[in-house]
This record gives sequence, structure tokens and C-alpha cells, in this order.
Amino acid sequence: MSAPPGDHAAALAALASELGADAVREAGPGDLVDGVAPFAVVRPADAEQARRAVAIAARGRIALVASGRGRHLSIGAPPRHLGLLLRMDRVDRVVEHHAADMTVTVEAGCTLAALDERLRRAGQWLPLDPPAPAETTVGGLVAANLAGPLRASQGGVRDLLLGIETVSGEGVVVRGGGRVVKNVAGYDLPRLHVGALGSLGVVLAATFKTVPVPAREGAVEVEVASPREACDLALAMRDAFEPAWLELVAEDGGPATRVVFGCAGLPPEVACGLLLARAEADRPGHHAVEVEDAAARRAELAAFPLREAAAILRVSTLPDRTGLALESLARAARDCGVRAPLSAQVASGIARAAIPDAVAVAPVLRALRARREDPDAAVVVERASAGVKPRLVGDADPWGDPGESLSLVRGVKRALDPGGILSPGRLPGGV
Amino acid sequence: MATGVLARRLRALVGDDGVVDADDVLLVYECDGYTLERAAPELVVLPRTPAETSAVVRLLAEERIAFVPRGAGTGLSGGTLPLAAPVMVCTSRLREIESIDLRNRRLVAQAGVVNSWVTRAVQGDRLLYAPDPSSQTACTIGGNVAENSGGPHTLKYGVTVNHVLGVELVLPSGEVVRLGGAVEDRPGPDLVGFVVGSEGTLGITTRATLRLVRAPEAVRTLLAIFDSVDAASEAVSDVIASGIVPAALEMMDRLVLQAVEQAFSAGFPADAGAVLLVELDGPAAGLEEQAEAVSAVCRRNGSREIRVARDEAERALLWKARKRAFGAVGRLAPNYCTQDGVVPRSRLPEIVRAIAATAERHRLRIGNLLHAGDGNIHPVILFDERDADEVRRVIEAGHEILAACVALGGSLSGEHGIGVEKIGQMPLLFSPDDLLAMTRLKAVFDPEGRANPHKVVPDAKVCVEARTPRRQAAM
Repeated sequence: MSAPPGDHAAALAALASELGADAVREAGPGDLVDGVAPFAVVRPADAEQARRAVAIAARGRIALVASGRGRHLSIGAPPRHLGLLLRMDRVDRVVEHHAADMTVTVEAGCTLAALDERLRRAGQWLPLDPPAPAETTVGGLVAANLAGPLRASQGGVRDLLLGIETVSGEGVVVRGGGRVVKNVAGYDLPRLHVGALGSLGVVLAATFKTVPVPAREGAVEVEVASPREACDLALAMRDAFEPAWLELVAEDGGPATRVVFGCAGLPPEVACGLLLARAEADRPGHHAVEVEDAAARRAELAAFPLREAAAILRVSTLPDRTGLALESLARAARDCGVRAPLSAQVASGIARAAIPDAVAVAPVLRALRARREDPDAAVVVERASAGVKPRLVGDADPWGDPGESLSLVRGVKRALDPGGILSPGRLPGGV
Repeated sequence: MATGVLARRLRALVGDDGVVDADDVLLVYECDGYTLERAAPELVVLPRTPAETSAVVRLLAEERIAFVPRGAGTGLSGGTLPLAAPVMVCTSRLREIESIDLRNRRLVAQAGVVNSWVTRAVQGDRLLYAPDPSSQTACTIGGNVAENSGGPHTLKYGVTVNHVLGVELVLPSGEVVRLGGAVEDRPGPDLVGFVVGSEGTLGITTRATLRLVRAPEAVRTLLAIFDSVDAASEAVSDVIASGIVPAALEMMDRLVLQAVEQAFSAGFPADAGAVLLVELDGPAAGLEEQAEAVSAVCRRNGSREIRVARDEAERALLWKARKRAFGAVGRLAPNYCTQDGVVPRSRLPEIVRAIAATAERHRLRIGNLLHAGDGNIHPVILFDERDADEVRRVIEAGHEILAACVALGGSLSGEHGIGVEKIGQMPLLFSPDDLLAMTRLKAVFDPEGRANPHKVVPDAKVCVEARTPRRQAAM
């Protein structure tokens, strides 16, 4: 805990008097963040209440973690201290959707499913498809830099985020970017918050570019003998036609691996893409089949990181090494006596394995890091179920080597959260 | 340290030809593409490699000397104007494309590599580097990173930050830090995104890892002629609303068209009020349908004539009018300057009317070139710098136009940067708390404030004009 109980009582009293008694409650066993218990849960009714809650925490030097619906809270290192869990799910308005300008400003607690429903009324969407859109909020999307298969063609959060409104660790509202699609005025604060796990500010609202929903989506799927063969084939298909998404998946841990190639656009475009992709995939020994419901298949593939597992390990590498990364993951798992389902987003160079057994997580991670088959790759524990994180210490730290930017990240943290109250310790290097 | 001694020590690092200290040559560096204000540095250093760049910056750090980074000097907001910075560090000799990875679509370029060289290096393999500022045959990757440059094709492909995966940054201390890299999604905050567009105030970028994109299989370019800017603006809104995302969607108004017509006969009707240049690209399948749909939208909004390029030569002809428009307008008066405001794209008709009213009020001629698809305006204000009163009116008109952009929900700059030009207007867009956060973030990289001082974020405590040697040209 970051503060003695006396201060907790004072903070609770301040929260109850400023936000109303119904916005604050004592924490229960369901409110742990990576095994660390807060003493209270605050659930502000609007952005101004959220700002006040952070200001109260700042005054009392009480550490807090912001959360939407809590679905992605196992991303990152466990918080070093935790006093308050700030539940942002009631701060959930779609502030404005300017369909003609193709921008939307939305509060942090709005779920992606609710946002999508709203945007589709105007034939638009925010083309980011992380797992569990009904339980994923805009704040979580930004803070955890979530993405899904569409990343291959639409970019990630950093490519669609135009502006942001946050509360700093001093309880001050700080805005960056704007509401227009092209903007270089001032330092790029919005991107700084992408992937920062709320440690540089609590996201209150964000503005995104929206795009037209494609008229049609289609996909083909083919199974080949190994991850590396799948990666090579996937890149050949990409070179034949630019996909909307391009996934590899080996449900039972390989070696047989499926390539799923999706395209989107006008009907003739999609037809042409599927034709060219199939022509590339139909080689002796395997045969590509068309996927019946491409969007549903994409959602299924997007859900991989949230499947039942002790931990999801993620390797970030170059696109043409994703096959190699999957094979390394599979081998390390096998050496530790487990079979791990595998998945990869080839175009972005992301490979994942779902480690089924809690005891195996740290050894698999150590083996991968020690071997360093790919010097550019970053191997991290993306998510872990309860009880696993405490085992992830030393060379099995969830993040691994924080890299040479660590001192800058520390400085940025101090600039925006001088008291160190926002998600302390969640970032690489214990920042 | 005396300038002569410093010059000698710098020459020892970068060679005799790597330091400029002769007054007549220094004049070349007194301004960039923003010519309203000029100030020559005391010394210009031109390192040949990233390592020499960090050695130069280390020496400046030891001597606590402030510096301004510069690429090719094509910037349009005075970002390289030296203000309380005696030394200019030019990265234009860092010209090597260090590696090309076609399969992963990555390219590592040193800061002085010219923008168009990147695409030239990979176009045989049907790839390209998407950001294409109008100055692309001169401007450098280092400058593009500093300014987060755009260009006509950013409507579909995004600006520089969307295509930079990593940078090597020489911090003002001389320390070299590599941020990001060929691999995406490294853990932690997006420092690469923060450095791109920081206008040389956080350090000097010496190398960048760029993302390449597939060159489109097919392109359709069409030019639609309208009687008025309003009609053309409505067509822009309707194209966007139709669900088609063109690769580029550019507008030119009457004054610009007349200038273009005078400079090289492009065959525009003398009474045309505006033209739209629309480019669609992607797979050949479906492209014709999109071109048809765009033509229909234009006709519905009163376009009297639509020209479709039938081949690459015709396409080049249509683009020629757009790409050379600045130069053509420039011929109409001894001087011109341009603004770079942004409005939500549905507000284009309003901002164009506001610009016309401003022109009238200040008795100025203003033409409009617009990246209409993303609401980025480039009003071109004509003037004669020998007329002090006119210069004053130009500056006032520029401020009014930007204030109008902000009032419409837009921004001060879409792609040219804040530089010195718009720094005074940052408070229109950002609160004191926002600006304080930016000031603190700058200090993380540059605690002594020696990297391009007095840029981007207005100094809350001192009046910049009062303490710097800057001089207002012709004022």
C-alpha cells in the first residue's frame, strides 16, 4: 500500500463527499489487479468526477489503476502499489460523431461494441478489432494498445487516434492532438498514451478517425505442414493481393498451421483478391477453401489472446520471421512438457502462444529469452491468469529488457505523474 | 567559446568543408521556406555521418551551446530559424540509404536522404514510401520526421508518423538513443510517435526506419471543373460521405487557376471557380466503378467538365498544375506566404468564405490550394515585402485565418509545423495546463533547452521577441 490507513479514511471521506457515496465502495476480492488489492473502488459518473477522483488521490499520494470493464487488466507488470481502482465504465458517452468529417470523440468508458453500433448507423466503423469488443472500452483500447487482425491493413491505435483528453497524475486535465484528421500542432501527446497502461494519465476521452465499413468481406483458409511454411505462403499471398487481414493459427500447437487470408472492399475487389489468394495457395498437397462468414472468422481469430490459458506469450518480430517465432514458441513449450495453441498476425510480425499450465510459463519464457534465436524480437508475457504473475520475476519479468529508452520513459513518467500515483510499476523497467 | 575557436574544433570533427562561417555563405541559412523572418546562424556544421552528428552535439553540449537542426531548409513555418541558437546542425550530408528489406517492407534511411530517393530505390519492386510533400524532390527524411510532413496522398495513406517505425535520435547531450525499430509493437509508450513532429526540439534524428507500402496496381486520376468553390466543396463532402476514400482529393480556386494558366497553359476555362483533382488507386478490380461514382458526385454538384487521365502522361499533366501551383502563384507578386490551417472537412465552404472576407478586409490577394479531402487549407497570400504596411496586413490576415480554423474546430497546422510562425497562436488551441505538460516533456529530452529553442511551445515566462536577435524582414 502506498499510504497508511489513516490517509485511506481521509481519501474515502473526500471521495464520498465530492463524488457522492454511491460512487465509492470498499474493495472486494473481485477487485484485484494482478493479485494486488486496492482498498476502494471509485466509479465516477462523468469525466469531471473522474478528474476529481484523481486529484483526491494525488493529494493523498494514493496509487490508482484506471480500468474500464477490467477485461484487459492482466496486461503489464503488477502494480507496485495500489490504493484505488478507478472504474471508468460509467464515463461512456459518444461525445460527437461527425459522420461527414469521419471523426468520432468518445469517452473512455464506452465499449467498442457500443461505439461500433453507433458508427454503423452512418455506415462507418473504427477499424480496430481487439478481442471482446463488448467488454473492451476506449480507455483500455488506448492504454493497452489493443488491436486485432485488421491491424494488417488499417494500422493500430496510433494510426487512428487523433486527439486525447487525460487527467495527469496531479489531477489536471491535459489535452493533446485535436478533432481533425491531420494535425501537427504541438507535441504528440495522444501517441504517448498508446500502450502506456494509464501510467502517464487517465484517459477521459479520445478522438479517432473513422472509415466507411467495407461493402464486403471475404476470406480463404488453407492448412500447411508447418508454421514456417505457413508464414512463407502468407507472404506470397500478400504479394499477390493486399489483404485486409492475414492470420496464422495452429489450434493444437502445430506443426500443421492454417493460413487465413481476408480481404475487404467493393465486391469485385474482394472477388479478385480471393481468386488471387487461392491461386497462390492451391499448390500440390494443399487446397484453399473459402470461409463462409469472414467477419465471424476474423472475430474468432481476434479472440485468441483471451482464450483460457495460464498465460499468453507474445513475440514481436519481423513479418517474415513470424513462422520462426511460432516454431520457437512451440518448441519451448514442448520442452517444458506442454502443448500451446499458436496464432500469428503475419503483416505486423506478432506471434502468440497460449501456455496452458501456470508452472510452465516462467520456464518457457526463460528458454525463449535465453535462446535469442531472433535478436530483434521482443518476448513478453502479454496476459496471465491470477496467480501466475508472482512467479514472473527476474529473467522471467513479463516485459523483459526495457531497452535503451528506459531513462526517457522514466522522465516522461515524472513529467506527467510526478507523484508516481498512476499505475506505478506497470510499464517495462518497473516504471 | 569564441566563434573562431568553436569553428576550429568543429572542423576537426567534420572536415574543413563541413563548417560554414563566412558571412556571405551563412546568408543561405538565414531562413527556410518561411521567408517573413530571417536570422543567420553564427556557424553551420554539416556532419557526414550519424556518428559525426553525435560528436558535434556532444561538443556543443560540453560548451553549452544551443543549436538548430536543419535538413534541406524547405520547411514552411520557420522551424529552422535560429533564435538564441548560434549553431545550425545540417544533416543534409547524411545521404545513405543503409538497408532495404523488401520482404518486410522496411528501409533504413539516414536523415539527409531526400524523400523521393526512397521511393526511387524501391519502385522497381512495386513498393513506395507514401508521404509525398510537394517539396519531395528536395526535402529530407530528417526534416520530414521533424515536421511530421504530409502531402497530397496522405488522405488515404497517412502522414510521416504512420510510416516511421523507428528513429535514432541524438539527444541534446550528445547521447544516442534508438527508439522503436524494424519490429513493431515494442512494449511501453510510443516515443517514436512523440519524437516525430517535434520540430527538432528534442534532438536530432540521424536515422529512421521507414515502412514501405505496396505501389497501387492501378490509378485513376480525374479533374473536375466547377463554377464555384462552394460547389466543389460540396462535392468533396459528398465523395467522402459516399464511402470512397480517394488517394488524393485536392482543390484549387480561381486565383490559383488563373496563375497556373498564365504560367503554363493547362487549358482551364478562364471563368472556372474551382477545380478538384481526384486520384483513386488500388487493385484494378472495382477502380472503374469508383471513378464513375466520383464523376457522378461531381456532376451532381454542378461540375461542368470532368477530365479523366487516360494514361500516365495525362495523369502527370493533371498533377503538374497542382504540384507547380505554388510556383505559379508566386509569379503573380514579388512575395507570397502560405498558411497551413486545418478544419473539419465539412467546414471547407465556411473557411474559404472566411478567407475571402479576410482578403477583402486587409486588401490582399489570397489564392487557395487545399488538401480538401482532409480539410487542410493552404491559402497563398501575395504581397510585396518592400511594402511594410502590406507585410503587417499579411501577418494579421494569416493570424485571422488560423484563428478562424481553430474556431471551426480545426487546428493551426496540418503538416507544416508550428515553428516560429504559429507559436504565438498555440494558446488558441491549448490550455496553459496542456502547454505546461508539453514544456515539461521537452525538458525530459532537453533539460538545458539547447535544441531549437523557442519553438513549438510558447515560453510562458519571457517574451521571445524581446530577448532574441530575430529580425522581421521588411518590417
